[in-house]
Amino acid sequence: MSLKYQSQKIAEYFYTFAVVLFLVQVVVGIIAALQFIWPGFFILNFNTVRTLHINAMVVWLLVGMMGATYYVVPEESETELWGLPLAKFQFWATVVAVTAVILGYIWMGINPQANSPIMGMTPLNEGREYIEAPRWADALIVVSVLLFLFVNFMTMLKTKKWTGIQGTLLGGLLVLALMYLPGMFYTKSMVKDQFWWWWVVHLWVEGAWEVIAGALLAFMLMKVVGAKREVVEKWMYIEVGFVMFTGILGTGHHYYWIGTPSYWLWVGGIFSSLEPVPLLFMVWDAFRTTRDARNVENRAGLYYTVAHAIFNFVGAGLWGVIHTLPQINKWTHGTQITTAHGHLAFYGAYVLLVLSMIYITLPAIRGVKAFNASRAFQSFWWMTISMVFIVLTITGAGMVQVYMERLMGLDYVAVKANYNLWFWVLRAIFGVGFLIGVGIFVVDFFKLGKEPAPAVAAVSDR
Amino acid sequence: MTNKAARNLFIFGSLFFFAIFLGLTYDTMGKLDKRAPEITEQVNAGKMVWHKYDCIGCHTIFGNGSYFAPDLTKTTVNKPKGYLKQFLMDPKSANPNASMPKLGIKPDEADNIITFLEWTSKVDTNNWPPKPILATAGGVAGRELTEGQRLYQSLGCSACHTINGIGGTTGPDLTTVGAKRDRVWLAGHFKEPKAFVPESPMPKVEAPDADIEKLTDYMLSLK
Ligand code: HEC
Ligand code: HEC
Ligand code: HEM
Ligand code: HEM
Ligand SMILES: [Fe+2]
Repeated sequence: MSLKYQSQKIAEYFYTFAVVLFLVQVVVGIIAALQFIWPGFFILNFNTVRTLHINAMVVWLLVGMMGATYYVVPEESETELWGLPLAKFQFWATVVAVTAVILGYIWMGINPQANSPIMGMTPLNEGREYIEAPRWADALIVVSVLLFLFVNFMTMLKTKKWTGIQGTLLGGLLVLALMYLPGMFYTKSMVKDQFWWWWVVHLWVEGAWEVIAGALLAFMLMKVVGAKREVVEKWMYIEVGFVMFTGILGTGHHYYWIGTPSYWLWVGGIFSSLEPVPLLFMVWDAFRTTRDARNVENRAGLYYTVAHAIFNFVGAGLWGVIHTLPQINKWTHGTQITTAHGHLAFYGAYVLLVLSMIYITLPAIRGVKAFNASRAFQSFWWMTISMVFIVLTITGAGMVQVYMERLMGLDYVAVKANYNLWFWVLRAIFGVGFLIGVGIFVVDFFKLGKEPAPAVAAVSDR
Repeated sequence: MTNKAARNLFIFGSLFFFAIFLGLTYDTMGKLDKRAPEITEQVNAGKMVWHKYDCIGCHTIFGNGSYFAPDLTKTTVNKPKGYLKQFLMDPKSANPNASMPKLGIKPDEADNIITFLEWTSKVDTNNWPPKPILATAGGVAGRELTEGQRLYQSLGCSACHTINGIGGTTGPDLTTVGAKRDRVWLAGHFKEPKAFVPESPMPKVEAPDADIEKLTDYMLSLK
């Protein structure tokens, strides 16, 4: 694959920012893990460290998807990007806004009084998980996303080529932008606060983002193994369709215990149990399409793509469905079981998605045909094995917690400090393994295509 | 199925389910206020304090948030206000083992937050969190409870103290307290904790002298 349009190179800006934030996220994650063992381990308290961890994650995944979109849209529309300077402006504005928000969190972490409300709004940290960004930053985020959507929409309009992939991608991004809005107003009731909060969180990861993942999966299958558009797009529609049919009402699995009427136990239980089905379609789709592939140039890309489909199903689908029925969720709700699922789902569904897109598009951007994929494989295994063990460890901690605290009635602190202590130690150790994997990936990202001709040509042994 | 049919299925199917979702949301919004007590100005002020100090970054509420610290939905049911206020303003003064940092919460902020937590404790959460199955199974291993043990349960001491590993970790473990304290100390401490331990966050035991006597007997039996 080689680059067709120069403006596609803008993707690399976004990838670079994403990769740097990925590294930050994981370093900070290890600090958070150590604070479970020594709460006073770091200058910043756990809440600030955790906020940095999950916000860095959300931002780098979004920025990565933006980069991928800027690459895909010109290619699908068969034209240069409309308004490249605007896209560059959008990039730098995003970097500045994100940096300002991060500095605000740190400031608030050092001096909580700095977050005292001004005109009824907390200026540095909204104090709501995942959407901690203060209201002024929400506005900037909306502007950035609108600019981004505008540039891509105008590009498509230029040639009026509406391929299924770009239509679906744009649709997913539009829902993503719209679903940010329910998190942008204040309610006096904590129940309503959480009700609308889940619109953002759940309808993002189990709605809009999965639609984007479906579209990008279709694109990657075409690029890596040369799959036929007709077939790939049809399956894409079916996959993302089922994501929406199950995922929208599946939001109910968060409305069991927050003060909402009990009919949500039925609605949420039934629809969310079906959510793994479309994810299984995606796995099947990836296998069927790549099974007979010959002469794959980009083996790293293929590898990551298939792994993304598999771990999306395992992390989101399997680790989600085990605690989604109300009868089970009653006991596991708000325990470490949730953390275990959150990690494997985000890793499988979105970390691997963005990394696959990077491995598939970066060689073209850097102007190389073949590259040495050995670092890509190494980092894959370091990250994946470590993540699987982190998740098993935390699932174990969750099972102990559910048994001791929820069934036997032991105190939360006793369980955390005594019975689960070794699980925290293990998580920190596997966390270092994950960091090694990320380190290898970061090196690979900066070196890919910049080294002298690959020692082992990736194509030669096939 | 043609591509076009698949696309239409995706688009119109999604809209269909979203319409149902909107309908349910509308219905839910109409019911929420009846499932919760009235939101006074002080409850709302407490909610703002909750956001200001980012309590959700360590705690869960209604089971959502972070899993570094206990869920606070029902805290006020078991813990007396005086203790909570002292804890919020300076955790280590109330519990030397506390790992919650001193965040700089002011007295009026503490009052507001406690009012807010009283509100959350009265929201109808479809019976969440569930009562622990094994702990509510009654007596210990089938044995009859003594008077003192029964008082210990009914007065809610186990919200703060552990005996043989069961109970809260707010106050000291009482498994062997009988070896450490004598009758005069224990009975006096129950009536006026601060007279024996300055700054003690333990609430006075509001019970007739006869009950205090029985409770003291029970404490002394713990060796
Ligand atoms: C840095 C993490 C952190 C933050 C931020 C935090 N807490 Fe805590 N909190 C804890 C931990 C950990 C405990 C468990 C007891 C202990 O070890 O201190 C706790 C215990 C409590 C308790 C006592 C519960 C009991 O049953 O004794 C209350 C009440 C409480 N926190 C309220 C709050 C409120 C309100 C806020 C926000 C203003 C808040 N906490 C912010 C970590 C935190
Ligand atoms: C709100 C939490 C709380 C509740 C409820 C509570 N205590 Fe305490 N208790 C404490 C704290 C904190 C201390 C440590 C400070 C002190 O000694 O006064 C303590 C100390 C004690 C001590 C002295 C232990 C020692 O080793 O010095 C005894 C005995 C005791 N409590 C018994 C009880 C009994 C019996 C009840 C029930 C009637 C009870 N407590 C209810 C918090 C509580
Ligand atoms: C890629 C998709 C997914 C991602 C990234 C994801 C991520 C998460 C995260 C981070 C949480 C914790 C939220 C919080 O902090 O409170 C969560 C909660 C939850 N998820 Fe998922 N999830 C995905 C898909 C699924 C699916 C498909 C299911 C069910 C089949 C599911 C079931 C649940 C349930 C039941 C909870 C609530 C846990 C609790 O009660 O504490 N998730 N998810
Ligand atoms: C070195 C590896 C990592 C370590 C040690 C680590 C550690 C942690 C810790 C300690 C928490 C707080 C959990 C709690 O509140 O109990 C957390 C939360 C979280 N982390 Fe990580 N993390 C790591 C990597 C990742 C990666 C790669 C991702 C995503 C792709 C991720 C996503 C999340 C999410 C979504 C949450 C919120 C979970 C929830 O609310 O359920 N983490 N992490
Ligand atoms: Fe969900």
